[in-house]
Amino acid sequence: MKHSISIFWRNRESHYRIKIIKCNACGKLAYFGRDRCPYCGSKDVTTIESEGKGTLVNFTVSYYRREGDEEHLPRIVGLVKLDEGIVVPGEIVDIDPSEVKEGIRVEAVLRRYSSDDPYGLIYYGLKFIPILKK
Amino acid sequence: MSKAFISAVCMTKIGRHFKLGIKNLIHEVTACMEEKTGSRPDYLIVASALSALQTHQLDIASIATQYLGWNNIPSIRVETGETSGIAALELAQYIIRSGAASKVLVVGVEKMTEYPSNKVNADYAKILDYDTEYVRNIAPPNYAALVMREYMRKYGATRDDIAEWPVKMHANAVNNPYAQLRFPVSKEAVSNAMVISEPITLLDAFPIGDGAAAVLVTNESARSKDALEIVAIASATAPPLYLREDVTELPATKAAWMTLKRKLEAHKSGEVALQVHDSYSIYGILALEALEVSDRGKACSIVPNLEYLNVGGGLKARGHPIGATGLYQVAETYELMINEFAGKHYRGEYALIHSMSGPDYNARLALLRRW
Repeated sequence: MKHSISIFWRNRESHYRIKIIKCNACGKLAYFGRDRCPYCGSKDVTTIESEGKGTLVNFTVSYYRREGDEEHLPRIVGLVKLDEGIVVPGEIVDIDPSEVKEGIRVEAVLRRYSSDDPYGLIYYGLKFIPILKK
Repeated sequence: MSKAFISAVCMTKIGRHFKLGIKNLIHEVTACMEEKTGSRPDYLIVASALSALQTHQLDIASIATQYLGWNNIPSIRVETGETSGIAALELAQYIIRSGAASKVLVVGVEKMTEYPSNKVNADYAKILDYDTEYVRNIAPPNYAALVMREYMRKYGATRDDIAEWPVKMHANAVNNPYAQLRFPVSKEAVSNAMVISEPITLLDAFPIGDGAAAVLVTNESARSKDALEIVAIASATAPPLYLREDVTELPATKAAWMTLKRKLEAHKSGEVALQVHDSYSIYGILALEALEVSDRGKACSIVPNLEYLNVGGGLKARGHPIGATGLYQVAETYELMINEFAGKHYRGEYALIHSMSGPDYNARLALLRRW
């Protein structure tokens, strides 16, 4: 197995939603569910949920081959500045690599991270897609 | 506290050693060390980042003592990602300074060709946070690419400006008998090479190779006549890349440098032999800036003129057998200062070695002085 089911299950809230922690000691926001503030170490943190929308601020088109994910190459890996003000890393999908550019608006959606054949396990989590203009 | 010295070094050529396993590589450098020193150490430290994942071996340090017939010698394996080698040196100097041992042998070893590259890449990517980054298919070269793009945007650096780094590293490696990639490259070749993670190409990235290097750390009474003093080793950690205000800064390296700088009296960065971590070209550039060798945004232009920078070719061209790399940096520096290395002899007093893991998740600096 590539991943432990229990590890993934334990973190499911952070894979299926964008959880932000707000530190009540230093006031900073940080990404991914944590017990402590990564800036000051305070345990006095509150978890809030992001709306999942933001702006792509940096990206790379990746051809780096990792066991089991070759079929999805190239990948677009980017940094998204959420509307709540913090930056999160993630994959950008549903856009051709030649069309992606900094500044586009994106939103988080549930997509497949990886599959674990022959065990039949599929791991889902958040990726970002462009927000289409109406 | 007693002083700690580097008294002898040994290296193997980095490459794809299909006929040598991890224990054979350890044997090669320990046999070399026994021949040089005529004795065995009283403590063994093995630095290896990937041994558990690539060779299925836990506690490689104890297994190594069994293989070598070094019964009853205490041993420890050290793993801190890409800085494992300098972390092992850090531990060795503390053991020496504490008086617990007089001769500590530090062996860095990595087997990276037991599996196809995609498996090696997957294991290497675990230097990042497994839950937050690895599971989401984010890999170290992706972060290096994001950093390089931001650096080019922020400072107006061009693709050719950054290619100064691999061009210099490959030119240096030509004269290093232990280097994996002993051929020169042009800026054009760097730009036109296969893309790994845009804008990083194959010639911006370290090659995959096996290797082992050994460094004997001793106290004063066991010191060889040709020795370098370990003046200090400073280390620090940093927040994940995505939580940083400025991704073109190396915060752990900077913090370690501030610690080390305070300990120095009459040290100027321009007067040291330098070894910096350059798993990807952009990190070599940023290391020069974090260590104040260059102003921010200007390091590319000084790279061609730094004679004693990564004389063995750096991670880029000498190679980067992950856990062994820091000890290759130390071994090359020893040879450069005591004898001659890659056609050069450095007569100055100080050498500074920089090691970091991933996008500077931890950094270690070792300051060495001619004794």
